[in-house]
Amino acid sequence: MPTRLHPALIGVAGLVFVFFVGPLVIVLGAALSDTTYLTFPPQGLSLRWFENIFAIDAFRRTMLTSLQVAFLSTFLALMIGIPAAYAMSRHRVHLPGCLSTLFVLPVLVPELVVGFSLLKNVAFQLHAPIFLSLVIGHTILILPYAIRVVSASLAQFDFSIEEAAISLGSPRLKTFFTVLLPNIRSGIIAAFILAFITSINDVSISIFLTGPGLSTLPIQLLAHMEQFFDPTVASVSVLLMGLTVVVMAVVERTLGLTFLAK
Amino acid sequence: MTKALSLHNITAHYGQTKVLDDLSLEVAEGELVSLLGASGCGKTTTLRLVAGFLKATAGTIRLGDEDLARLPAHKRNIGLVFQNYALFPHLSVADNVGFGLKQRGVSGQERAARVGAMLERVGLSALAHRLPNALSGGQKQRVALARALVIEPPLLMFDEPLSNLDAKLRVEMRLEIRRLQQANGTTSVYVTHDQEEAFSISDRVAIMHQGRIMQFDTPENLYRRPANAFVARFVGFETLLPMVVSARHGALVEARAAGGVKLSLDEAGLGSIPDHFVLACRAEGLGVTAGATGIPAVLGLRTYLGRAYQYQCETPAGALVANGPLNQPLELGAKVQLELVPEQCAILRRE
Amino acid sequence: MGLSARARYSRGQFAGQALVLPAVLLVLVGLVLPVGATLSATFGAPGGPLSAYDAFFASGFRRTVLLRTVSVALTVTTIAVVLGFCTAYVVSRAPGWLKSILIIAAVFPLLTGVVVRSFAWLVILGKNGILNDALMGLGLIEQPLSLLYTPGAVVVAMVYLFVPLMILTLVGVLDAIPDELIQASASLGASPMATFTQVILPLAVPGLIVGAVLVFTGSFTAYATPQLLGGEQVMMMGTLMYQQAMVTFDWVSASTIAAIMMVVTLGIVAVMNSAARRLNPMAS
Repeated sequence: MPTRLHPALIGVAGLVFVFFVGPLVIVLGAALSDTTYLTFPPQGLSLRWFENIFAIDAFRRTMLTSLQVAFLSTFLALMIGIPAAYAMSRHRVHLPGCLSTLFVLPVLVPELVVGFSLLKNVAFQLHAPIFLSLVIGHTILILPYAIRVVSASLAQFDFSIEEAAISLGSPRLKTFFTVLLPNIRSGIIAAFILAFITSINDVSISIFLTGPGLSTLPIQLLAHMEQFFDPTVASVSVLLMGLTVVVMAVVERTLGLTFLAK
Repeated sequence: MTKALSLHNITAHYGQTKVLDDLSLEVAEGELVSLLGASGCGKTTTLRLVAGFLKATAGTIRLGDEDLARLPAHKRNIGLVFQNYALFPHLSVADNVGFGLKQRGVSGQERAARVGAMLERVGLSALAHRLPNALSGGQKQRVALARALVIEPPLLMFDEPLSNLDAKLRVEMRLEIRRLQQANGTTSVYVTHDQEEAFSISDRVAIMHQGRIMQFDTPENLYRRPANAFVARFVGFETLLPMVVSARHGALVEARAAGGVKLSLDEAGLGSIPDHFVLACRAEGLGVTAGATGIPAVLGLRTYLGRAYQYQCETPAGALVANGPLNQPLELGAKVQLELVPEQCAILRRE
Repeated sequence: MGLSARARYSRGQFAGQALVLPAVLLVLVGLVLPVGATLSATFGAPGGPLSAYDAFFASGFRRTVLLRTVSVALTVTTIAVVLGFCTAYVVSRAPGWLKSILIIAAVFPLLTGVVVRSFAWLVILGKNGILNDALMGLGLIEQPLSLLYTPGAVVVAMVYLFVPLMILTLVGVLDAIPDELIQASASLGASPMATFTQVILPLAVPGLIVGAVLVFTGSFTAYATPQLLGGEQVMMMGTLMYQQAMVTFDWVSASTIAAIMMVVTLGIVAVMNSAARRLNPMAS
């Protein structure tokens, strides 16, 4: 580009990026501090707050719960979402136009409202088990992501290879699994990762669908923060950041990070 | 008002790759010059250089008396017509055309008048308030043209403006462009990969290859008297036969090619023939006959061209392409003689 | 392929509908019905169909919460738009390698989750936090400032939350503007500033509106951030709703708040949809 950028503009952008990274660095520092209160810069370096995480029963349990819920709801969202995305791509003409609006509703309706409604009308009214309600809530939350990402992948898919396979004798269903799915693999992986992370980090739906006996990691973190304002919270945060780094590394390996500029 | 464009010893790089190699070009005032070549030859790069979107690593560009290298792109006052039209999607046709005038501080009233007149000239007055996404390809191209013309620039440049249009429209539009250019008398540089397009509307054509100009001449001369093997192939000479002169009798020259093939050539028709040369022939330059003189050949694959039959031939001098008359389709394996048709041939120096 | 056109058509119809059915059912059973039930519950309060809403708007406290939420959301949106646009502009013009790094830097916060990001500001703004330490260290103040549990803290933390989203949206929008348009503008004599105001900005506006709406509705319906950084002193719609539902157990009141949230959110989205469609010149 022949035009150059005003230095003030570059300055603002630089500051914004420092603004992004700064607080996370501070959390990292606080997690390493050898004090019983949160402070930055850290005074003395110690990993004891990381050890503390696994010592606290509540964190162990809720980590497990979060993982269970995330895997279940991501799996469900993909099982339900992939066929739906395929149908909307291939058989668009046969489907009512309002369908895409229906599938975008979970994004439009505030999460708090969804969580509360599930609590009131499904868990309470219908006496459904709370774990089930939680999974339903998470699945609904991530369904639009699954559909949208897979649809984007399908938009670039050349359906004539499906037809070629069928003309060569491969039955429809088999073709779906052996020809279509492998070719939209990157879309499915991206959808999985996005959905999984969204579920792990969710607060607004989970807040209504948890309680004593069943809680997810972010909710437990919030509760812990209100009671004990100690570096354990910082170290759990660092763990979650670490998870994010791992995820991004996986994405880089499999898809290349340009995929993220969706 | 229009000016001459001259490029001297221009070299340009994209990163480490050299894309223009010591290129020089003089476009006279009022002339329409085409830069013709396949993709990657450097024609678009040359255009972007003159427009100011790319900096040369060496050489000078002058428009009239002015050294363009000192000026940023938006001060160069050159009218550009882009391949994808580059119409501003948020502005109406009239506002698009008036954009350049607005930047020059032309008052609203005068702007409206000049835009109106220009839209009249390109036949789009009825569409003045439409948005670009409601226009057909041909209409968009005319808006792009009007927008570049209305600022009355000393130089116009066209970057493959017609390649996104269908064939029939392309022919109409190129005539339209030529008519407008001649009416205005504006110096113009036209980039294209379409030989027919370049030859039909240009005063002169520069055939480019790998960042260099292979020949810069009128279409007639390029067609009849290619300067080198690349240009010869480009303009349709299919056969290139290296030959050596064995005897001269005044203007008549006897020459030998590989495989013992002998030909008599007349300098009067072909121009002067050096001792070592390459004979370039179009397919029409070699005629299939049953006679006794010429190049002995065995016929291979026959294709029907509508105006003639074309034969792939095996000769002692190698594989050649020749044409034969429509009333006499000949079969695979027929033994014939190939006779030279001098008007469809040219002499090239050996390189 | 052996079937008549009509047979193929109806088989396609069946297949299409069957494949989509589970998703439709899930959304109906898990979202539409429960939320619908919540909405209708607001009309069933003793005292008449609109009494729940009357009660809401009659309460000075609740009106304050609503107004506060709106003003916080507007503030956050404005700041995020300005910061986001400037940064996105720089990112979209950056050379390839740098651009990838910047986009990763913008995506990373998005993936770390709301709790971590809000917590970071607890550490920074607390009485023992680094901001206070820095200010005292510089001798600007003597006593640590009470920065937490103020609207300002909530605004800062939510700006931190939403700017990455804004940046990513806007980079997409700015990248979609073809280079040729910029070149055409320059060739017609527009200086870089004129190109920015007359070509780039107008074409970026529809995307800007979309981004702004996302940030506004996200701020308006937020829970975790106001809870951590605002607490009870700075109650917002989200935290109020939680309190009514899980502390006071006044489910009608909570449903009313939910209904108001939905109306505001869906209303703004609907307005934006029609405005964006009319404004978006690049849609053909």
